[in-house]
Amino acid sequence: MGVTCVSQMPVAEGKSVQQTVELLTRKLEMLGAEKQGTFCVDCETYHTAASTLGSQGQAGKLMYVMHNSEHPLSCFALFENGPCLIADTNFDVLMVKLKGFFQSAKASKIETRGTRYQYCDFLVKVGTVTMGPSARGISVEVEYGPCVVASDCWSLLLEFLQSFLGSHTPGAPAVFANRHDAVYSPADTMVQYMELFNKIRKQQQVPVAGIR
Amino acid sequence: MEAPPVTMMPVTGGTINMMEYLLQGSVLDHSLESLIHRLRGLCDNMEPETFLDHEMVFLLKGQQASPFVLRARRSMDRTGAPWHLRYLGQPEMGDKNRHALVRNCVDIATSENLTDFLMEMGFRMDHEFVAKGHLFRKGIMKIVVYKIFRILVPGNTDSTEALSLSYLVELSVVAPAGQDMVSDDMRNFAEQLKPLVHLEKIDPKRLM
Repeated sequence: MGVTCVSQMPVAEGKSVQQTVELLTRKLEMLGAEKQGTFCVDCETYHTAASTLGSQGQAGKLMYVMHNSEHPLSCFALFENGPCLIADTNFDVLMVKLKGFFQSAKASKIETRGTRYQYCDFLVKVGTVTMGPSARGISVEVEYGPCVVASDCWSLLLEFLQSFLGSHTPGAPAVFANRHDAVYSPADTMVQYMELFNKIRKQQQVPVAGIR
Repeated sequence: MEAPPVTMMPVTGGTINMMEYLLQGSVLDHSLESLIHRLRGLCDNMEPETFLDHEMVFLLKGQQASPFVLRARRSMDRTGAPWHLRYLGQPEMGDKNRHALVRNCVDIATSENLTDFLMEMGFRMDHEFVAKGHLFRKGIMKIVVYKIFRILVPGNTDSTEALSLSYLVELSVVAPAGQDMVSDDMRNFAEQLKPLVHLEKIDPKRLM
């Protein structure tokens, strides 16, 4: 997997989430990007059940279990500021067995779904972030395939992001700072999605533009 | 805390509950060669495969009486192989006619930071050991003949000592729940290994 930047696109003034996504995808198609199927990234949150807390003597931690359609046979499990485990899909079966120790936070499942676009060496994914039935925001993921070292290609990625996000271009993701010259891995992408989902969860419900 | 018998549970979310069928026995060191020779003749034709694994057993203690056990295993002689995380359920009781020990099993391949992750989840290492031996296959049956080594200094896999003067022999099959004819095939295969080794269903609870 190449170096990837995941960011949030704010909803345009007076427009709905759906309309903003359409604006973005139209811009991409005008640039010359080709549609290449769909993608989905989802995240479930678990917290240590009260029964285990007493014996551990530590505050309950949140564990995120995520899936990425780009890696359909894998499952990513991570703690905030902690290790990210990459496992195969049987990990989900294990979480069912661990039901007594780790409880799924109610209604915590958050996911982003949308279209994949290929533009030369860039893979762009624009998705609608939903929690249950409501759309809460827009995620934009851009991957530069040929390079796996973040510091080598960040300026190129930034230039490309500016070409279609304009003023909404994000700064360098936090994960790049931690591992400047290390080889980029899919776990870094999942950490970025986790941070994005947490940010969106905390935001107010996205006001739906007047349904006329 | 344990879930109802797995063979009665519905298939959920597209995954099937897998069961491990197991028969165990042992041979003294001096009988190893003859056993390997017979196994080479009976099993599928393949290059003799040896392994050297380091296994760590982790426990998660909750308010329930029995802690949750997970086994993390890594290969010491194959670089780049993923770590293997295994959950084994309680042996299913009941059918006296069933020839093998049956228990629910979940096998997961993971990245190398497994131990750090398990500690973060709240698991603590209970014990560890090194297993060194030979691996054979016959169809879906797996036969392992290995020696267990105790690790003298925690975390240091170089200083080990053999636990006994024998090799543990295990015949196992991992199959979807409900396929009981598997244990018949296993018993027939075990018959062919007598009298070199007697493989039988050993209930772990009776040993404790």
